[in-house]
Amino acid sequence: MEKIAFERPFIKKLSAGMPSKFGMKTEIKPVTHIDDVAVEELIQKYGSPLFVISEKTMRETYQEAYRAFSTRYPKVQFAWSYKTNYLDAVCRVFHQEGSWAEVVSGFEFDKALANGIPGNKILFNGPDKPEEYLKKAIEQKAYIHIDHFDELYTLKQLAATLKTRPRVAIRVNMDVGIYPKWDRFGFNYENGEAWDALNRIMISESFELEGLHAHIGTYMMTTEAYGIAAAKLADLATGLERKYGHVIKYIDMGGGFASKNTLKGAYLPGTDTAPSFDEYAEAITSALINSGIKPENLPMLILETGRALIDDAGYLLGTVIANKRLSSGYRSTIVDVGVNLLFTSFWYEHQISPARPTTQHTEETAVFGPLCMNIDVIRESMVFPLLKTGDRFVISRIGAYNMTQWMQFITLRPNVVMIDPESKVHLIREKESLETIRQQERIPGHLQAKKQ
Amino acid sequence: MKKLKAETLLFLRCTANSYSQVFFSDNLVFAVLLIMVTFFDAFAGFCGLLSVLITNLLARALHFHPETIRKGLLGFNSLLVGLGLGIYFGPGWLFFLILVLASVFTLFISMSLQGVIGKYGLPALSMPFILSLWLVFLATRDFTALGISDRGIYTLNDLYLIGGNRLVALYEWWNSLAIPESLRTYFISLGAIFFQYSVLSGIMIAMGLLYFSRIAFSLSLLGFYAAYLFYHIIGADLNSFNYSYIGFNYILTSIAIGGFFLIPSRASYLWTLFLIPLVAIITISLNKIFLVFGLSIYALPFNLIVLLFLYVLKFRTRVSEGLREVWVQYNQPEKNLYTFINESDRFRYLQYFPFKLPFWGEWTVSQGHDGEYTHKDEWKHAWDFVIQGNDGKTYKKEGENLEDYHCFNKSVTAPGEGVVEEVVDDVHDNPVGEVNLKQNWGNTIVIRHKDGLYSKLSHLKKESATVKPGDRVKEGQVIARVGNSGRSPYPHLHFQLQTTPYIGSATLDYPISYFIRNTGNGYCFCMHQKPARDWQVSNIQLNPLLQKSFRLIPGQHIRCEYTHNHLPHSEEWEINADAYNKSYIHCRETGAKAYFHNDGSLFYFTHYQGKRSGLLYYIYLSFYKIPLGFYKNLKIDDSYPVHFLFSRTQLFLQDFLAPFFMFLGTRYTLEYLEQDDDMSPGSISLKALITTRFLRQPLKRIPVDITLETGGVYRLEIKAKKDKIRATCTVF
Repeated sequence: MEKIAFERPFIKKLSAGMPSKFGMKTEIKPVTHIDDVAVEELIQKYGSPLFVISEKTMRETYQEAYRAFSTRYPKVQFAWSYKTNYLDAVCRVFHQEGSWAEVVSGFEFDKALANGIPGNKILFNGPDKPEEYLKKAIEQKAYIHIDHFDELYTLKQLAATLKTRPRVAIRVNMDVGIYPKWDRFGFNYENGEAWDALNRIMISESFELEGLHAHIGTYMMTTEAYGIAAAKLADLATGLERKYGHVIKYIDMGGGFASKNTLKGAYLPGTDTAPSFDEYAEAITSALINSGIKPENLPMLILETGRALIDDAGYLLGTVIANKRLSSGYRSTIVDVGVNLLFTSFWYEHQISPARPTTQHTEETAVFGPLCMNIDVIRESMVFPLLKTGDRFVISRIGAYNMTQWMQFITLRPNVVMIDPESKVHLIREKESLETIRQQERIPGHLQAKKQ
Repeated sequence: MKKLKAETLLFLRCTANSYSQVFFSDNLVFAVLLIMVTFFDAFAGFCGLLSVLITNLLARALHFHPETIRKGLLGFNSLLVGLGLGIYFGPGWLFFLILVLASVFTLFISMSLQGVIGKYGLPALSMPFILSLWLVFLATRDFTALGISDRGIYTLNDLYLIGGNRLVALYEWWNSLAIPESLRTYFISLGAIFFQYSVLSGIMIAMGLLYFSRIAFSLSLLGFYAAYLFYHIIGADLNSFNYSYIGFNYILTSIAIGGFFLIPSRASYLWTLFLIPLVAIITISLNKIFLVFGLSIYALPFNLIVLLFLYVLKFRTRVSEGLREVWVQYNQPEKNLYTFINESDRFRYLQYFPFKLPFWGEWTVSQGHDGEYTHKDEWKHAWDFVIQGNDGKTYKKEGENLEDYHCFNKSVTAPGEGVVEEVVDDVHDNPVGEVNLKQNWGNTIVIRHKDGLYSKLSHLKKESATVKPGDRVKEGQVIARVGNSGRSPYPHLHFQLQTTPYIGSATLDYPISYFIRNTGNGYCFCMHQKPARDWQVSNIQLNPLLQKSFRLIPGQHIRCEYTHNHLPHSEEWEINADAYNKSYIHCRETGAKAYFHNDGSLFYFTHYQGKRSGLLYYIYLSFYKIPLGFYKNLKIDDSYPVHFLFSRTQLFLQDFLAPFFMFLGTRYTLEYLEQDDDMSPGSISLKALITTRFLRQPLKRIPVDITLETGGVYRLEIKAKKDKIRATCTVF
């Protein structure tokens, strides 16, 4: 008989909630395995904390998203948003599935090229595109999404010197009835700035105007906003055709689809409120199909969604360091995962599950990271089973942004592994060592130890 | 001047064809040989030629269809009449008058018969000749001024007059040759067709026949010996058979049925064997009747049986694979057969309406033709489509709500251009698991595509139709959404084709023109197939560069700069369309023509005529079949008619066996390699492989690297053993 795990004694105020048919128990489902690989085994082999990415989930999510759009619209193309997760292995899975690359910096541009993506499958976004990269993008025939007039002028000059017509789109911002309104990227639709930009592009004849781009926000919980955005872009497209006889080749609806994480302050869990790909697809494609664009001129629909494709595939495995009672008497658990690794804990109420079955007894607890900083809070309060030092846990849905926004702060970044569809584990990013950090550093001569 | 030259050429051609047409051929060598044979009796030969000339000249003067004249279809009957008269009568003014009259008369009958029975798709055969000769013979009995020729009777005298002792000796030697009796009769029968009752002429005709067609030659032997055997069995007077030299009836019947009017096959050979005894019986009985009038029956039994059989075949409600009439006559059984083998696969659906799948993206067939649930009996030729998720399920969550089903509320598109015939839009959508048997088909749209060709889409979502009766719809236009109305327990799209406009009409067995099938290991291009259960299918996504590259419009030109074995050449071709709206690329210098077809989704060459080398020939081979969508690594398969890749000598043995077994074969494969840009492709590379095969093993391979570029540029590198060609062709 297996030894029953010890759980600490606790005292808890009896508060009768709504009983379900199972009574009043709080069931916390453990995550013992990820894609048939035991969590304990993973940590034994690769250390704790550990990032785990499920290739199977990635592919399935991608295919689900692709199906949602491609069965509703004749021409659909996804472009993997590099900033969401630019680990090469991750990018390559999406590229293998057929995704292009969407990059927002020179670094990401080079990374996409290094991943074997030709320039003409790279969408170059963002407010900061250095001249040398604009030049590179023009030469590589990438699609440059112009963000502001100054960029337009630079591009025009470059086009003249390089004697080629850059392939461009403009990013359009607009009021789609949501708050906050994103108006810092691209050209505004309502005040005519977008048309101003389009007119200049068409009249200058130094550009190949390929498409229109909008990215209305992030973590959009409403699909109607996409419908409005698509309709406004379609309106620009029909206007271009009417005015210049120019048929654009694509409409890029950007990303911003919500994942199933729960936002802080949300009343209901994200699993219940986040719209599905089908709902986003329905809103976007209906707007395009019902727009004034002629059926034979329907442009390719590009989607740059990142979060919704990768979030579910990422797990962060960790270990309990200690349990501690705060001065208020409130319980706290210190774990080896901090905000340095889990940047998204600033806005998500991450789901943390034990890696082994526990009893139904739980206690409200704060979950703190290991950093010696007051801000290192993973969860301010959560109902958590009674884990003890050395117990493992799994944080789910952390695939997006954490592996790009993580910090080398106080401690080093851990291993990242990917579990392939055959449940084989591959190390895709080795943990950092002192050497990793030190090799970038240079010590001025006068600070170096003098040789005797 | 040019016109005169063309006219002379046409005239020479139609004269020659008037000879070879007796054996359904248009082979020039064969014709020359036959002309020589007719001149064994110089006078008769002259009369024959004269008749041919008179007939064809008159036909031309009367502006009959030039093609009919050119093929010798009018001339050959007159030829036989001329020969018959020439053999029977001696020269004289009256005779020539009768010859001219008889020729004209034959022409009239030929043309009239063509007009009358041609409507039933039947040939006139040699009926005009028989009718004409009978009538002339019956009449001339009263013409005492006509001198009857005795040349045929006193052969030795004639020969002596022509060639002296040596010719007589040669003739004797010929006759003394130890040729088996049956074979001798065979040769004489062959010669008798041209009123030449000698072994030598028979041998020459047999050789010509062998040169012209192996199948026709073997059929001539088959027909003759079948009759020979039959006579033997019934114990009939072999002598009568021998004497009247009407053995050619069996030979001609055999060639006509076995290989000319029908595609040579096991079945056509068997029918030949079966019909020959019938010809024999009719020959004997007709002989009895015509003896009363003192007339020979000539080729009457052949004419009767062949016409009868061909006519009867037209009443078949279903044409079996084995016994098919020749659609396009290439005047050679081999060509007919090889083209048929190839085209029955390639062009069976050429005239079919190009239906596409009525949706976007990849769907799965949940019930195909002859399905296990509802596609039965009159409604068996229908498809049900659903969308499957990664888990193979058609729904997410528990599948309790309509919205859980992947296909629910997805756009339904028009499968082809047409006019909306009927729309039902007010049937409620059933909850999952329930069916509405009262309004069986649920919400339905019927579209008329052609007269007698309708498509029907059923179980649509309530009030989702975006069209109304009378609306014209384009292919791919959204017309409704998938729902769950009618007899539908879970959301799916029912698609069927039918011949009547009603909801509930019986289904029609009809293919989808092109679609892409995801086999799980890759994509394959399906052409005129019927998606089967569990197939994952999607419409072909057209590629703008491929579309532009192969949009060849009559009036355009193609300039080709190429090096052939390192020698530079340059040619200019023209895109033309003939009277039948068939487009072709025409090389004026060589006269070569490559016929092509482009239906918007597929470009393919249908035929090539001209010499079997040179750039256009290789273009024909390399661009043989090109779907106009780019799917990386997609492979296309096809085969050429064997006679387009093998030489006559290589095919010699195959020709004999072809109706039964093909040991030589050909193969065309095309692979899509790269495209430089997905959005606006500027260059696409393809690789074609042309292979000849022996017993399915490759014999010779010709790889061709193809690059298509914007501006209608084709770059080809052909690496045949003998021909190394690097070409750049530009359409302008």
